[in-house]
Amino acid sequence: MLLPTLRRLAEMIFVMLGISIVVFLIFFATPGSDPAARIAGRNATPETLAQVRHSFGLDQPLPIQYIKVMEKLFISRDLTSFVNRGQKVIPAVIEATPVTLSLVLGAAVIWVIFGIWVGVTAAATRGTVIDRGLMLLGLVGVSMPVFWVGSVANLITQSRFHDTWLFHWVPGLGYTPITQNPWLWFKSLIIPWMTLAILYIGLYGRVLRANLVEAYQEDFIRTARAKGLSETRIMFRHALRTSLITFVSMFGLDFGALVGGGALLTEVVFDLPGVGRLTYQALQNLDLPFIMATVMYSSFFVVVANALVDIAYAWLDPRVRDAR
Amino acid sequence: MTLRRWLQSSAVALLAATGLSALALPSAADAADHTGGTLRLTSSSAAGTIDPQVNYTAQDWQIFYITNDGLVEFKKDEGPGSNDVVPDLATSIPKPQDGGKTYVFTLRKGIKFSTGAEVTPDDVVASFQRLFKVSNPNAGSWYNVIVGADACIKTPATCTLAGGVVADDKANTITFHLTQPDSEFFYKLATPFGSILPANTPPKDLGTTPAAATGPYMITSNDPQKAMILKRNPYFKEWSAAAQPAGYVDEIDYTFGTKPEDEITAIENGQQDWMFDTPPADRLPEMSRKFPKQIHINPLFAIFYAPMNVNIAPFNNKDARLAVNYAFNRRSAVDIYGGPRLAVPNCQILPPGFPGYKPYCPYTKNPGTKWSAPDMAKAKSLMAASGQAGQKVTVISDDQNTDPQISTYLVSVLNQLGFKATLKVISANIQFTYIQNTKNNVQISLSQWYQDYPAASDFINVLLGCGSFHPGSDASINISGFCDKTIDAAIQKNLVTAVTDPKAANAEWAKLDHELTDQAPWVTMFTPKQLDFVSKRLGNFSYSDQFKVIFSQVWVQ
Repeated sequence: MLLPTLRRLAEMIFVMLGISIVVFLIFFATPGSDPAARIAGRNATPETLAQVRHSFGLDQPLPIQYIKVMEKLFISRDLTSFVNRGQKVIPAVIEATPVTLSLVLGAAVIWVIFGIWVGVTAAATRGTVIDRGLMLLGLVGVSMPVFWVGSVANLITQSRFHDTWLFHWVPGLGYTPITQNPWLWFKSLIIPWMTLAILYIGLYGRVLRANLVEAYQEDFIRTARAKGLSETRIMFRHALRTSLITFVSMFGLDFGALVGGGALLTEVVFDLPGVGRLTYQALQNLDLPFIMATVMYSSFFVVVANALVDIAYAWLDPRVRDAR
Repeated sequence: MTLRRWLQSSAVALLAATGLSALALPSAADAADHTGGTLRLTSSSAAGTIDPQVNYTAQDWQIFYITNDGLVEFKKDEGPGSNDVVPDLATSIPKPQDGGKTYVFTLRKGIKFSTGAEVTPDDVVASFQRLFKVSNPNAGSWYNVIVGADACIKTPATCTLAGGVVADDKANTITFHLTQPDSEFFYKLATPFGSILPANTPPKDLGTTPAAATGPYMITSNDPQKAMILKRNPYFKEWSAAAQPAGYVDEIDYTFGTKPEDEITAIENGQQDWMFDTPPADRLPEMSRKFPKQIHINPLFAIFYAPMNVNIAPFNNKDARLAVNYAFNRRSAVDIYGGPRLAVPNCQILPPGFPGYKPYCPYTKNPGTKWSAPDMAKAKSLMAASGQAGQKVTVISDDQNTDPQISTYLVSVLNQLGFKATLKVISANIQFTYIQNTKNNVQISLSQWYQDYPAASDFINVLLGCGSFHPGSDASINISGFCDKTIDAAIQKNLVTAVTDPKAANAEWAKLDHELTDQAPWVTMFTPKQLDFVSKRLGNFSYSDQFKVIFSQVWVQ
């Protein structure tokens, strides 16, 4: 167990190092990205510009600048923004994390429940109108871009029908911490949750149905039937369990990516100050310290999620365990 | 249906609607009833550091205008009066001595910072030293006239301004010695850069930490990702209603991170009171139809223009520059921006109503004082004379508001003239510095300039003077790279004239404005107007030409 963990850890460091160097180089290769002039102001003299360049260490060679940024990010942990000067990067990311977690956890609950429901119902009624209808709806869900769904949801609940009985309860866009007002937290997140979940319900429902249909062809299902087990038991106890392997691996990767900032579009559309929106704003402002921090954060979660998926695999599928 | 026609119809609706709205001025009797409540402001993003001696944004200057004070201040008034400088922490505007090289300010007694400490002459000296220590953006371009500034620019850490800013505690005065007379010195003191801060304020950028306030409000918390909160300054007592009147609301909450279209919805729903961002053009019809009384339109001293690089092909050819000027339909650009209520066509360097402005437009059918229609025949013949037809041209635009659409229109004009023009849209955060750097070989771009203070040199000298052109640097605000030695000498001479004879100077600025317009380093397009969309409950909307809405003068109950 120790060796695989160490190997994982080494892989993780390697991946994060690579990503950070690439991001850093792309930033400085972008024409006009030099932060000094933007920091100095719109009518700065060359002397002022040189001073600003010097005080931010931007006059040093790139490798030294890279090491300094990494040192400030991971060791002294006092990296500050280039744009909103004085704002520390790490506390901002830490403050944004609960928002992203609230969004992604809530959406995950919805999409896991509905995804399984859609997959199981469609597989159980395969070939019928219900099956076709559900798969069609799933396809629609997968095809609708999340920013579009979110904008339409906003248009309906915040603007056009905000004054009607149906949506007058919807609070203004933004986020309220659960510790401050759990009811308002719930109300302000319910629409973002559903918006984010729609895509995944469609995707997971379709994948699960395909896996279930495949599983029904397997020998162990025939054996179960031969033993006289009920259809319900066959479905939930035997077919579903093996079919969940793909489901779980997809879930792990998607969840990791979303927590790492992949819910960017949903957060931006609904004005949720999470890690995704932090990344979005950092990119918009070309704020290198924030870009580095959010990219490191998200690559960390993607790598960790990958590791967790592997462990879950072993637990779900004995064949994987034996192979090790 | 073209976008333009649709915008036109929306602009007509807006015009009809806003004609109905009237501005109510308060009477003394009302005033007491309106005190209290929380004013809720919103913007898509924070504006950087909140150090008043560093921050150079219109967004935060609006805040510093009610939190901090200089020795002098722009009058908190509506209309032209808001461009006047009035004494603030000083008792009066001093008379120039020594031919305009010495000014003696007497400090008011009994004014306190939000820390409880009294404002002393030492704080004034320290504040001006601090300007250099924190690398103020204009340390080298505005405050270099103070004696001792040169040393401060070279080695900011040891800045003393010895002999430049002298305090006299007994007499409660501060004496400024300048290296040369400066007609704009009071303006420079009246901007937030001239804010007086306690002498013990750290000599580095405060970043997200608020500075001590002297005005009716102070910033109590600030998180650039979330919100800035302002509360009443407990030590504030009104000393001059013209410079710094007391405020109505008890608290101001400024939230960051909402997109403009969501800000409009929030104001319509009564969840916010005012938005900083320009409303997207596609929401204007709805706003003017449903909430005409909540729209306020006011003048801005600004221009939208396309600087042409006069040092590289094809616009190093004057005929080519003139051709674009004659061909450009300013009315089309105005319509794209939001219609005639939101912008007026302009051909020259200065915006209408600005000191030194005399209407002038050579680039139109029937040249004279007003732009009427493009003169395509003249443009085509100039184009033929230039021999630049077939040249490749790239228009560099930013991605904000209607700028990409205006630039698309500019591309079509260039193609009509025979150029092979293409559009490149880049993030607004890079575009402004990108187009300044000669290394990027930008031929033509779209840019804007908003005044710093009401003086013609802020356009003419800053944007077209030889001193603002720094080849190879990201900070070279003379984007055209235009440098005419004769005109520049006249500009420098007129800056001196302005000290003693502002009237003669303004007449000369008008002449220079017209001369520069004839040289056609830009295509000046139009002067925009400020549209403020406010909540139903917001009353006593007060607008200063310098700082726009005065937050201390509006009420919410």
